Amino acid sequence: MTPTEASTALDSLVAQIVASNNYPALEHTIRNGLPKDSRETILASALSSGQDPLTVLDLRAHTLGVLYIISARLQGSSSTLPSLQIVADFCRVFNPDQARIAPQRVTQLAKSVLRISEDLENPKWAVEPLHNLLMRFAPDPSCLTPIHPLFALSCVKTQSFTAALPLLLSHPITSVDTSLTPELTYSDNLMYHYLGGVILAALKKWDAAEDYFETCVSSPAQVPAALQLEALKKLSIIQLISKGKTSSLPKYTNSQLSRLFKQTPYTAFINNYPRNTKQLHNILDKEHPYFLNERMVGLLRQALARAPRWSIKKLTETYLTLNLAEIAKEVNISSENEVRSIVLDMIAVGDINAKLSISGTVTFSDAPSEVAKITKDEVDKMLYDAQVQGELLARLEADLGRSREYLTKAVKAKDDPWAGASNEEELFAMGMSGVGGPSNPSWNDDAMFS
Amino acid sequence: MDVDIPDQISALISQLPQGTGKRTHRTVPVDASHPFELETYIANYTGRGAIDRLIHIITSAPSIAPEAFNVVVQHIQQTRDPSLYQHALNAYEEVAAHAQLPPPSDLATLDTRWADEMIASNQIERQKLETEVKTYMNNLIKESIRMGLRDLGDFYRSIGEHGGALKQYTRSREFCTTSQHVLDMCLSVLELLIEHRNYSHIATYVFKADAAIDAASSAAQASGATGAPTSSKKGSAERDKVQSKLDFATGLSSLGQAHYEKAAMCFLRLGPPHQLGDWLGKLVAPGDIAIYGALCSLASLSRSAIKAQVIDNPTFASYIEHEPYIRELIEAYMSSNFKVALDLLSKFSTRHFLDINLAPHLHDLTNLIRDRAVVLYFQPFSSIKLERMGASFGWSLGEVERHVVRLIQSGDIKGRVDSQNKVLQAKQTDHRTELFARASKAGKDIQNSNRKLLLRMRLQQADLVVKAPKGSHAQPTTERHTPE
Repeated sequence: MTPTEASTALDSLVAQIVASNNYPALEHTIRNGLPKDSRETILASALSSGQDPLTVLDLRAHTLGVLYIISARLQGSSSTLPSLQIVADFCRVFNPDQARIAPQRVTQLAKSVLRISEDLENPKWAVEPLHNLLMRFAPDPSCLTPIHPLFALSCVKTQSFTAALPLLLSHPITSVDTSLTPELTYSDNLMYHYLGGVILAALKKWDAAEDYFETCVSSPAQVPAALQLEALKKLSIIQLISKGKTSSLPKYTNSQLSRLFKQTPYTAFINNYPRNTKQLHNILDKEHPYFLNERMVGLLRQALARAPRWSIKKLTETYLTLNLAEIAKEVNISSENEVRSIVLDMIAVGDINAKLSISGTVTFSDAPSEVAKITKDEVDKMLYDAQVQGELLARLEADLGRSREYLTKAVKAKDDPWAGASNEEELFAMGMSGVGGPSNPSWNDDAMFS
Repeated sequence: MDVDIPDQISALISQLPQGTGKRTHRTVPVDASHPFELETYIANYTGRGAIDRLIHIITSAPSIAPEAFNVVVQHIQQTRDPSLYQHALNAYEEVAAHAQLPPPSDLATLDTRWADEMIASNQIERQKLETEVKTYMNNLIKESIRMGLRDLGDFYRSIGEHGGALKQYTRSREFCTTSQHVLDMCLSVLELLIEHRNYSHIATYVFKADAAIDAASSAAQASGATGAPTSSKKGSAERDKVQSKLDFATGLSSLGQAHYEKAAMCFLRLGPPHQLGDWLGKLVAPGDIAIYGALCSLASLSRSAIKAQVIDNPTFASYIEHEPYIRELIEAYMSSNFKVALDLLSKFSTRHFLDINLAPHLHDLTNLIRDRAVVLYFQPFSSIKLERMGASFGWSLGEVERHVVRLIQSGDIKGRVDSQNKVLQAKQTDHRTELFARASKAGKDIQNSNRKLLLRMRLQQADLVVKAPKGSHAQPTTERHTPE
């Protein structure tokens, strides 16, 4: 197809775009009306008058057409590239309803934005358009779309962590809608939560980072993904930094994952944390190339630096008074001055509640219970939250009870009078083998002797 | 025609501990402060029970090993299993290598003629029994097959082939026609397992025996309604007897698996000693039950439970009679005279350690009892000088501090140590604020986990589940996928 032919085809297409207000039909025309092999070429050409179609169309009113044209041109050769300004403007003003008719093109656009920004060696440029695209395109920012991981990726690559912060903190992912974005894959989910965790960890928002990593780690999996293992590593070290110990994973986590994790040097590190600082240093030195390769040295160092604090904090639960020398012995630090400075810092930050006398005696007092400050309003808010949560769950329950799948299953189980009984027997048999080790299956017929 | 033996049985057999093979190398002294009377102790046991215990004593207490060796050889000659001699000899030689002891040949030697004859007669007996079973199998008379297999099992057991015995007993299960037969078989297996200290499998057979008793008693009641009323009375006595045996087996199995509280409850539930019937002596002595029951109770039960179930328990008192110091121990503990209680424990540690079932758990049990004592002691105080605590327990200041700190860290004592003034102070908690804090935290946690669970559910509904990669469909993560 020659450029002229392409231009003519585009001319009529643009005319249709301008004329049409039945967007699903228009989408169908664009997608199927053009010859398959030359569609992108047509979309990326100029009008026969030599004009740029994007200048003819209105970015907002003709969102669907513009979307197709921009995404086609971003894919094509550099000669057809639209100006970055137009792309950014489009991302800012497009009409979400029209865009949702062609979700694949939106994803394509987002991918291209990321790629182009790298090609132009201006990766920071991509952050804003992607953010706009995401916020406008998703029906709700907490509904996962393929743009989420792309946006997070661009933030991580450019280290513009704060740009993603509002999204990550106030809109945790709560829903997935594959009818809107059918091309969503499990790695979108894993990647978004992993990258989210990385961003939050970089900003030292430990609790939130933990949530994100945990979501990644505990995502449903038939076989664990490597990204989940990476997330688990980061999750564990972050827990060491923020809590001094690792907490157990949710029960629904893939069991192979923890087995894989146990084989890594991280396990030794976690087991020796926080008491055995000498051993921790050894591990860090010995496995340095490995950790360096995994890009975990920074987090591990942070964890290590906080190790004495956890030990000291533990001491406050056991002792009322201790002198610095005793503390130094307990936490394996040789110099008393170092301990003094750590203790002072902890008192200043409010990690522990203590007094340090000139003679070097530390007197711990009970932590001022933060809850003593709980006001009536806060209680009300807590109750309100609980009620909202309860209602939400009740509604979900009702929805589920109404759903076709549930009803089909429930009816099936009812029709089969043996289903219940056999289940009970199975449970019973399981209970037995748990108590008494392997039991011989041929023995379940004891009842026949009664 | 032969009967298939299910794989599980052979697995079970292979798991049986290898006789006297595994032994801890810890040894204990026998002297004035750790009294132990070998003769009176071993007089309580017969047969293999005595021999196993004597071999244990040989390895654990070198100072009385020669005497024990002498006795064990006499006992062995009354059995049908000459291979036991080799076990005893090995055990003795191992100990003798470390301590200066007279060579075994000076003490007692085995009558080799007896051994040869025994081996020969065992061979004949085995062939006879096996032929019998084969004949019965051909005739397909269930009852005869069952009895044949049972006899063969008994025979294997008497010559020390536990695996073979277990195999025969379990084979006979298929030919049982009444629940009484099943029960008999279960009890035989239990005896075998207890003798062999295979604690983890005991529960399985206790459960099976329980089911058989229920079946047997309901059958007895059905016949009792028509027959003489005395038969049902006799039946319930019989039932109590079996129940006691099963309780004992469960208790022992729990003890073996370090479930001390469950073990204590089982031992305290036992009926009077005569109900254990022929198990006394063969498997256990009443004194042992007193010791097991008392130590497990002290280590796991609350004071009120000990009072109700140990002190005010007339049945258990009849066991305690056999070991009077147990009563002293419990009384000292209950009157908070912990120093005496701990001294008694250490005084009789040799007696306890030389017990074949208790030895592996003695250390843990002693620690548990001591820890509970410390916790109980501190309970009424709001603050106490560590010195005074030390005096009550007979410990030095350092020892007290070490124990107390450990217990605080494990959360058993709610208190803190003033290490400058050596004072232990109880922690004052504001329960109201604590409750508020807990409630608010619980609320947040639940919200958080609800959110995660719902997301997970949605992901599953949308089928966004991590799957093993198919061929070229490569994710950035492929290289670590483990094949299913």
